[in-house]
Amino acid sequence: MSFGRAKGRPWLPSPALPFLTPAHLLVLGVIALPALYVIWLSLSSSTFGKAPTFVGLANYANALTDPYFWRALGNTIVVVLIVVHVELLLGLGLALLFASGLPARRFLLAAVLMPYAVSEVSAAVIFRFLFDLDVGPVNVALNAMGLPMLEWSVVPAHGLVMIALVSIWLHLPFTFIILYAARLSIPAQLYEAARIDAGSSLQTFRYVTLPLLMPAILVAMLFRYIFAFRVFSEVWLTTQGGPARSTEVLGVYLYLDAFRFNAFGAAAATGWLMVVISLVLGAGYLWGLRRQMVSDAA
Amino acid sequence: MQRRRLLVGTAKAIAVALILAWSLVPIAFIVVSAFKPSADIFAVPPRFAFTPTLQHFADLWSKWRGFFTGLLNSAIVTAGATLVAVIASTMAGYAYSRFRGPAMARSALFLVAVRLLPPIVITLPLFPAINALRLNDTHVVLIVLYATFFVSLGTLLMRTFIDKIPAELDEAALIDGASRFGILRRVIMPLSAQGMLALAVFVIVFAWNEFLFAFVFTSTRAKTAPLFVAEMMGSLDSFDWGVLFAASTVQLLPIVLFVLLTQKHLIAGLTAGAIKG
Repeated sequence: MSFGRAKGRPWLPSPALPFLTPAHLLVLGVIALPALYVIWLSLSSSTFGKAPTFVGLANYANALTDPYFWRALGNTIVVVLIVVHVELLLGLGLALLFASGLPARRFLLAAVLMPYAVSEVSAAVIFRFLFDLDVGPVNVALNAMGLPMLEWSVVPAHGLVMIALVSIWLHLPFTFIILYAARLSIPAQLYEAARIDAGSSLQTFRYVTLPLLMPAILVAMLFRYIFAFRVFSEVWLTTQGGPARSTEVLGVYLYLDAFRFNAFGAAAATGWLMVVISLVLGAGYLWGLRRQMVSDAA
Repeated sequence: MQRRRLLVGTAKAIAVALILAWSLVPIAFIVVSAFKPSADIFAVPPRFAFTPTLQHFADLWSKWRGFFTGLLNSAIVTAGATLVAVIASTMAGYAYSRFRGPAMARSALFLVAVRLLPPIVITLPLFPAINALRLNDTHVVLIVLYATFFVSLGTLLMRTFIDKIPAELDEAALIDGASRFGILRRVIMPLSAQGMLALAVFVIVFAWNEFLFAFVFTSTRAKTAPLFVAEMMGSLDSFDWGVLFAASTVQLLPIVLFVLLTQKHLIAGLTAGAIKG
């Protein structure tokens, strides 16, 4: 079976080229080349409709000295940390619950997956209504029970909680299904063996389930981390970054720069900072997590 | 032992109730409220006995006629993006499944690595470019954007599915004088239909619901349904929750039903793509 297999050849095998072309044209034309242009844009002063002029690193310096940039970065990190970890805990709990056997499992599975089909816009409608300060049923109920209301449009910290809540609601199905699939792929014999060895359920979790789920946990966290860092719609459709720009995230900061203040150069610099910071933080975090796991196992 | 079982059973029942409250109640709230008379929408505690009304849908039709054009735009863009993404991904997935080597590995890495760039960053250079091409506010822009942002995942997914088709089948067809495109069409595509379907489900859900690109690149002619809902939410002064719920219901019900029907493929796709890729 050697047909078409080009081991060690430095170039793409020519019969493969026509098949690769459409996908690569799309990705090159729409993502890769524009991304390179963003670098040039970030080094120039550009407003829409005018030819850009080279300004060096001024845009980066401006962003890094802008308190709103730092606030947006801080908010983004807070939202990402909440979203990724809460989703992981809930997703893991759900996966184990489903694996332990539930009545009407198919129906419940469909129920858990349902928010995946809901748009960010509709989710915003739901949560804005549930937590409306005057008429929202959840806030009214909280108030009636003497608990504090979620004043998401007034108190900045509450706004961030609201953003995280919408985001978790929308994306939990993704985290859950990855962990659940991984849990189902653990052979039942291992649990059989653990039972015979009279391991407690906590020990079984610690020494069987958790280590075998680790790859899936890392995959789910990595995906969610990357995507949560870009959060835009959940913010734009709820707090819109307010009150007084206090709940802005990097995506919103960038959007305002470009499309409201017409400063494409500054926005481009923010864009690259966003990419670099997310990669550095993400790589550092996952590296630390992996190292911790390895030392745990040893 | 008896007591323990009872305890576990109770805990599970509570967990199930929480699951339903968390994932279904919010959706049910929108759909049910869309049929409530305005006075009942704000009743506390929520009123379950009410005379259903189509008033909000009628208001939606008379006050927000554009929303229905938005639905049509969403449908056009979704269909186009799905077609482009599935075809491009199946072709590339076929190539990655049947040809190996360092160059192939590098080009696959490239496809995946570019997805680390946040879409909002890409809007910056695309905005002037799309204006210069006079493609602003057209269906084509959204079709190409949505397809592109799914082609990387789609390629990996299709490769996983096509890997399961024995290469001996193509070999036999090749000896019979079939072209590679002929093989793709007559051998690979029918046998990887499940993968194509799984990918289609992803793209359809994404394209039907997408907000950011539509927000930046469309204004009137190609404006999609989610943008109209957002606009209704934005006109907060004369806020009409009833109409908003009606619009939201019309936007989400088709896609929720679609996901319910295709759930099996969705799970197959998610698990194949995420665990192996």
